[in-house]
Amino acid sequence: MADLGNILLFFLFPISVFTALTAYAAGVTKRRGLLEAARRGAYAAFAVTTLAVLALEYLLVTSDFSIEYVASNTNLALPLFYKMVALWAGHNGSLLLWTWIVTMFSAIVAYQHRHKNNDIMPYVIFTIAITMTFFSVLSVFIANPFETLYQEIGNTLQEFAVQDGRGLNPLLQHPAMIIHPPILFIGYVGSVVPFAFAIAALITGKLGTGWIHTTRRWALTTWGFLSVGIVLGGKWAYVELGWGGYWAWDPVENASLLPWLTATAYLHSVMIQERKGMLKVWNMALVISTYLLSVFGTFLTRSGIVSSVHAFANSGLGPAFAVFIGLSTILSILLLLYRRKDLKPDEEMESLVSRESGFLFNNLLFLLATIAVLWGTLFPVISEIFTGDQITVGPPWFNNIMIPIGLALLLLTGVGPLLAWRHTSVETMKRSFGYPILGSVVLVIILFFVGVKDGWALGSFAISFFVMWTIVVEFIKGAMVRRKNSGENFLKALYMLSRKNTRRYGGYIIHVAMVVMFIGFTGNAFNSETRAEVAEGDSFQLGPYDFKAIEIIHDQNDNYSAETLIMEMSRNGRLISTISPQKRYYFASEQPSTEVDIYTTLREDIYAVLSGMSNDGEKVIVQVYRNPFVSMVWIGAFILVVGTLFAMLPNYRESKSGGAK
Amino acid sequence: MNKNKLKFVIGSVVIILAVILLAVQGMEEDTTMSYSKSVSEVHMLGERAKSLTLKVNGDLKKGSIVRNNLDLDFTIVEGNSELEIHYIGKDPIPDTFNNEMDAEVIVSGKLKDDGIFHAERIQAKCASKYEADYTSPEV
Repeated sequence: MADLGNILLFFLFPISVFTALTAYAAGVTKRRGLLEAARRGAYAAFAVTTLAVLALEYLLVTSDFSIEYVASNTNLALPLFYKMVALWAGHNGSLLLWTWIVTMFSAIVAYQHRHKNNDIMPYVIFTIAITMTFFSVLSVFIANPFETLYQEIGNTLQEFAVQDGRGLNPLLQHPAMIIHPPILFIGYVGSVVPFAFAIAALITGKLGTGWIHTTRRWALTTWGFLSVGIVLGGKWAYVELGWGGYWAWDPVENASLLPWLTATAYLHSVMIQERKGMLKVWNMALVISTYLLSVFGTFLTRSGIVSSVHAFANSGLGPAFAVFIGLSTILSILLLLYRRKDLKPDEEMESLVSRESGFLFNNLLFLLATIAVLWGTLFPVISEIFTGDQITVGPPWFNNIMIPIGLALLLLTGVGPLLAWRHTSVETMKRSFGYPILGSVVLVIILFFVGVKDGWALGSFAISFFVMWTIVVEFIKGAMVRRKNSGENFLKALYMLSRKNTRRYGGYIIHVAMVVMFIGFTGNAFNSETRAEVAEGDSFQLGPYDFKAIEIIHDQNDNYSAETLIMEMSRNGRLISTISPQKRYYFASEQPSTEVDIYTTLREDIYAVLSGMSNDGEKVIVQVYRNPFVSMVWIGAFILVVGTLFAMLPNYRESKSGGAK
Repeated sequence: MNKNKLKFVIGSVVIILAVILLAVQGMEEDTTMSYSKSVSEVHMLGERAKSLTLKVNGDLKKGSIVRNNLDLDFTIVEGNSELEIHYIGKDPIPDTFNNEMDAEVIVSGKLKDDGIFHAERIQAKCASKYEADYTSPEV
């Protein structure tokens, strides 16, 4: 099976090259036959990669420990489900998953457009096939998951198998970790599709909004997956790493945020191009950057150039990635320069207070956020080049910049959509913003007297309130007008209104999601924690909560042994729940793992970690965090998904006879 | 350049300058920057080491961990160089942290006058260590 997998994977390389070459030839000669051949190449690449993935799955499930990847990432006692998902637990396997998704997307795109866009499709397939070729080289020659274990005996290398594997890293034995990588990868890889269309538009000179319309759903889907992938990563860190938070500006986290920032900027600025024919070069640049940053993110995680807690080991892929990213960047810039004359704006900016300028400032802030995160992430590398000292900037540095930028963006979320195109008069502004501003000011005063003294937190709550107000008013006003004209009841009017312009109202729903998430982020300003060493019967306090250690339990199964501390938790003297943090020790990997216990309410999380045993073994050390509003982050992410799906629905068109007017 | 464009440019420049200011001001803060060094490099820094926030990486010296209630002391090594660590942080101590294990450790904090390193954060590199070298059990 390993040989079969190897052979299948080996075929991917020539197939990718064939696809790229025929696609390019089809573009130059405009011959349908060649395009058809390239299309078949894309299908074939997907087919062989799918079979290779199945072969690796077979090896994982049957525990073939003569394969290094299987031996390194699974063991006999591992539950079947985790054996299957070990496909992306390790470096080589997850790279195969990446490659597989690329081939899948290239096949889907080739199929979707089999009867249309024949002018640009050759270059679209060509661009994706180049990416495919690159990843096939990595998967086949540098990080092959089908590599067997071998040892040197005398002068010959001999294959061997181990009795049992080393098991799956305990940190990865968690549901959020299982779906996080594929979702994030789909987000990363999805960016190759808009990129390929942009490059094809640049090569062919068909620079209208055609490529933008064609890739709108791809861009949005990709963005949705990227968003969910990032949040799941945070969720995983929160429940699995046991330090009480979900975001630490770790290089790997930043790597996933970077393409998200540029993708979000693009989703906004593209509206200006469609409406006013401005920012053409800029949109191209954003699509290209999103793709490059996605590849860069993969590079950062795997090259070991920046050290990170959950990075893969230095894998020797660094130089290959650096060359690929470098060449892609240079070629993209050259193409943009070559077409710059055809990308002149149709109109000029008219007023500082207008929808256009709202979008421009939005983009400026996203750009600055991207540069800041990139700068901070690469600072160890930059500082080593210039000063010889490797200097890391910590979370406070990122927060110092990103909190103001984030709040400014959040403010624009409320202001921007209410500004008219071209110019907004002072009168209109007063009408739109008067009450929301007044409401926010009142809220700040109330919060201040209730005891919220943190300036940033007050600002964040005020802005959240303001934005929420403006969005709700948008929905209600629209629905009222519609009700008056159509005679529908309010809810029907609200639904029809949204369905007639899903992009706009889906966008609003996503804005609501961002507000909810920001409330969650702001909760960080009020976190508190305590640490205690307890024996059975001891108790301690955190805020209004009392914790009493009831029992310390030791038990074990095939996979791990565990110690559990069972505590009773009461608030203001009333018992509300038990909370039981656990510490596990996995036999196969010889790794301990912390299982936190979290008591969640809308208002706050109580997060308990068993950090260790005392010397005598009678006592355990327990750390308890009180984190307000954390669940808002997850709820916000859910709303974001709803909004994204809604924005992808086709607009509802009313028949002429009924309904409107 | 027309008047509106000028206004927009001025607005943008103000925002850009504000962000640059935040970036620079953030860098000056003692707490946000840390110098990555290995154990031997810390010793080579001499007196200068005491003025910096350091991120020191080394291997945990087996059997060196001493826990006393909530206190934790241990030693990290690199070749012949050793560094004594006193943990003053609040976060839970990482999982790979006990006397039986091979762990590569990164400590963040400051070197004090008595030559003991006061660590506010400890990271044990496990996920990467994990995949590093696969050695056959026996030959």
